[in-house]
Amino acid sequence: MIEFRHMQKAYGPSVVLKDINATVNDGDSIAVIGPSGTGKSTLLRCLNFLDPPTGGQIFVNGEEITAPGCDINKVRQTMGMVFQSYNLFGHMTVIENIMYAPVKLLGMSRQDAYDRGVELLEQVGLADRTLKYPDSLSDGKKQRVAIARTLAMDPDIILFDEPTSALDPAMVGEVEAVIEDLAASGKTMMIVTHEMSLARRVSNRVFYMDEGLIYEDGPTDKIFDHPEKENTRRFVRKLKVLELSIDSRDFDFVDASALIDKYCFRNHIAFGTANRIRSAIEELCVQILLPELSSPKISICVEYSESEEYTIVTVKFPDAFRPDDHSEKLAYRMLMANTESLEYSYDESEGSTVVMRLR
Amino acid sequence: MKAGNGDKGLINRNSRNYCIKRSAAILIVIAAFLSLVSAGGAFVSADSDNKSADQSGAVPKYKTLKELSGKRIGVQVGSVFDEYAEAKIPDVRIEYFSTCPDEVNALKASKLDGIVCLESAIIQLQGQADGIVVLNEPVGVIPLGFVYPKNEKGRKLADQMSEFLAKLEEEGELERLKEVWNGNDESVKVVDDYSSFPADNGTLTFVTEGTFPPFDYFRDGKIIGYDVDIAVRFCKEYGYGLKIKDMNFDALMPAIQSGKFDFAASGIAITEERAKKVHFSSPDYYQNAVVAVLAEGDSSGSFIASVRDSFVNTFVREHRYMLFLKGIRTTLDITVLSIIFGTLLGFILYMWCRKGGRAAKLITRFCVWLVHGLPGIVLLMLLYYVVFGKTDISGMWVAITGFTMTFAASVYSMIVSGVNAVDPGQTEASYALGFTDTQTFFGIILPQAAKHFMPAYKEEIVTLIKATAVVGYIAVQDLTKMGDIVRSRTYEAFFPLIAIAVIYFILAGVLKAVVGRLTVNVDPEKRSESKILKGIKVK
Repeated sequence: MIEFRHMQKAYGPSVVLKDINATVNDGDSIAVIGPSGTGKSTLLRCLNFLDPPTGGQIFVNGEEITAPGCDINKVRQTMGMVFQSYNLFGHMTVIENIMYAPVKLLGMSRQDAYDRGVELLEQVGLADRTLKYPDSLSDGKKQRVAIARTLAMDPDIILFDEPTSALDPAMVGEVEAVIEDLAASGKTMMIVTHEMSLARRVSNRVFYMDEGLIYEDGPTDKIFDHPEKENTRRFVRKLKVLELSIDSRDFDFVDASALIDKYCFRNHIAFGTANRIRSAIEELCVQILLPELSSPKISICVEYSESEEYTIVTVKFPDAFRPDDHSEKLAYRMLMANTESLEYSYDESEGSTVVMRLR
Repeated sequence: MKAGNGDKGLINRNSRNYCIKRSAAILIVIAAFLSLVSAGGAFVSADSDNKSADQSGAVPKYKTLKELSGKRIGVQVGSVFDEYAEAKIPDVRIEYFSTCPDEVNALKASKLDGIVCLESAIIQLQGQADGIVVLNEPVGVIPLGFVYPKNEKGRKLADQMSEFLAKLEEEGELERLKEVWNGNDESVKVVDDYSSFPADNGTLTFVTEGTFPPFDYFRDGKIIGYDVDIAVRFCKEYGYGLKIKDMNFDALMPAIQSGKFDFAASGIAITEERAKKVHFSSPDYYQNAVVAVLAEGDSSGSFIASVRDSFVNTFVREHRYMLFLKGIRTTLDITVLSIIFGTLLGFILYMWCRKGGRAAKLITRFCVWLVHGLPGIVLLMLLYYVVFGKTDISGMWVAITGFTMTFAASVYSMIVSGVNAVDPGQTEASYALGFTDTQTFFGIILPQAAKHFMPAYKEEIVTLIKATAVVGYIAVQDLTKMGDIVRSRTYEAFFPLIAIAVIYFILAGVLKAVVGRLTVNVDPEKRSESKILKGIKVK
C-alpha cells in the first residue's frame, strides 16, 4: 500500500536519508530500529510530509504523493501519527481532542464523533476522563489519548514516532499495552522505537536503518535472531565496537591503550574486562605478531555486548601466521589466560583472522 | 532671540501618572480631597462674583524687578519672555510651562515667585484669580502680529493683513477693539459668525492656541478673542472663508512653517529670528510684557463655598461640561477606532508575515521597530507635518492613523509572542491529522495564543488611551486639551485635572471591561460542560 522509491531527504548539505526503497503492505507492523541519527523519525516524517522528502517518490495506494499538486492533507487523513511528545490540543478537553478532526474533516456528526470518541477512550482505558483538559493528565494518559485521537480518523496506517521515549519508566507499560493491543488487532503500523523489547512484541517486520538506508529489512525474528548484516547484528546485540589499526613497527601502544580506556569508560565496561581487552591486544599484536609479520598491517576490532556481557576481539593481518605456533611463548600463555576461546582462520583474499572471546 | 519653535514643546504632559488600577484611582481621589481639606484655608477661589476684582489694596510680595533676582520666574514654552526676563532680572531662574494658566496655577501654589506674561493676559487673569498683583515695572514692549508661512501666498496674505491693520488703525477701530477685549464686560466681546462667509477668494485656516485670553480663548464652546476677532474681520473684508483650529502654543510656529495652516496668532511676538522662517504682518498690538507676583497674605474664603464655586466654574459656567463631553467623545473616538484598526492591521501584518516569508518579516519588523522607537508625540507630528503635510486630512484622522500604527505594532508583537508560546508540536499534530495550514492556525494555534496575549492586550488599551493625551499638539481637542481650555478660563488646576484623571480612569476601566468580557468568551477553558457537549446526548 505504501512504496518508497529512491526517496531522499537532505537538510541543506547534510543528507539524512540517501536512498530509501521499501514497500509497506497492509497488515504489516513494522518496527523501525537503528542507531540514533540514522533518520528513523525522518522516514516517518517524510512519509506524511511533515518534513517533505527532497528526492525520489512515495506511492500510497498507487497514487504518487510526491507528485506536485497532490493534496497532502487528504493523504494525511489516512495516515495517523503518534508523537513522542503527545501534542494534544491544550485548549480542548480530551473528548474534543478526539472529536475535532472527524467532525471538521470527515463531516461526522458531533453525536457520532462523541460516541466513537467514548468508545475509543474505553479502548485505551480512559473513559472517565472525557471532560478533562490534557494538562491535568499524566504523561502516559496523554499518550493514550493521543493514540485514541489518531484512531478516531480511522487511518489506514498509524505512524508511531518513539511513542514511549518521553515517558517516565513507570508509565511505559500502559502505553505499550495499548500499542500491543493495536498490533494484535492487525492494524497496519510503523513504529520507531529504541525499546527493542517493544519492537519485538509489536512488530512482524523490522527495518534496520543505518547509513541513511534501510540497511536490512526482514521478519522480526530473523532480524533479531539471525541478522544477515554485520551492523544489524552489532545493533541488535547492543554491541559496542572499537576499531584500531597498526600500520608500522613503531606502533605506540600507549596511544592505543588510551583509546581503549576511553572506549571502556564511555561504554561502562567493567575495570577487569578493560584490563583483559588491553592485555589481549598487547600480548597478541605487540608481543607475538609485530616481531614476526612480514608487513606490519594489523587491524583490530573490539566488540562488547552490553546485553549479553561478552567481549570479542578480532585481529586481522595479511600473513598466514598461526599464533598458536608460538604456544611456548610467555606472551601466548598470558593471552590464553585472558581468553575463553581463540579461533584462527586463513583465507587467500582476506588473510588471517584471529577471533578471541575474552573471559 | 529664541526661535521658540516648539522644541521645548516636547515636554510630555502625558507624564502625569494615571495609575493602572481603579482602586488606586479611588485612593487618589480620596487623598486629593483630604489634601484639599487640609489646604482648604489656602485654597484660592476663582469666582469673580464673590470677590472683588479690585486689586488696589493688595500688597505684592515683591515690589521691583530687582527684588526678584535669583527667584523663580515662569514663562510659556515657545514665547520670548525668557529673553526679556533674563535681560531685566539678575540671576533669574526661568521655568517653562506649556500654557499661561499653568503658570498662574504654579504661581498660586507658590511653586514660582513670579510669572512673565503679556499685560492684557494678566488683566484678564486679575478678573478671574485673586491674590495676583502686577509690578509697575514692565520687562519690555513686545510687538505682536500674525504669522504666515514663508511662501508666496504667505507673503501676499501678510501684506493684505498689514494693509487691513493700517486701515483699522486709521479708523480708530483697532483702539476700540483693544478696549473691548481688555475690558471686563464679556457681553460686548463678540465675534462674527464666520461659518457662512462666502469663500470668494478661497478658504483660510487660522490656527491659534485657544487658551490665552483675551487673545484667543473658548467661551460657550466657541473660540473668540482679540486675535480671532481681527482674523474674522479680515476674512470678511477680503472675501475669504475661514476655518479655525487650535493647538498647543509651542506647536504653532512649526505648524505655520510646515505650511499646514494659512496663518496663526496667539499673542505671538514678532522677532528678527522668527522672521527668517515665517512672514509676519505688521504689529496689531504693542504690548507690555509684565511680571505678576502673589500678593501678601492669603485670600481665604469659606472652604465649602470655594469648592462649590470651583465646581460651578469648571463645569457649569458657560456650559463648560459640554467641553468635557466633547473631549471625551474625541478621546473615545480616537482610542476605539485605533484599537479596532490597530488590531486588524496588526493581525493582517502577522498573517502577511506568516505567508510572506523573509522579506515580509524584515519589512514588518523594521516598521514595528520604527513605530515602537518613536515617542508618540514625535510620530504624530511627523505624520501631521511631513507625511500628511500637504493633504487636507484632519488632525483627528492623523491621530487615529498614528495610534493605529502604534497599536498595530503592539498587537503584532503580542501575536508573535503568543503564537510562539504555543508548543509547535500541536501544529504538527494538526497537520498530521490532515488539517490545512489555515485551519490549524485558526482552530488550534490562535485560540491558545489568544489566552497568552489577552492580558497584555488589555494593558495596551490602557496605555493607548493615556497616550492619546498628546493629540492637542496636532489641533485635536481631546479630553486633555479640553481640560487645558477650561483651565485657561478658570485659572485653577484642581477640578479640571481631577475631573480629567477620573474620566480617564473610567474610560480605561470601561474599555478594559469590554475587552475583558470578550476574553472570558474566547477562553476555551472557561466554558461550561453543557457548552462543550452542546448537541450531544451523553449516555
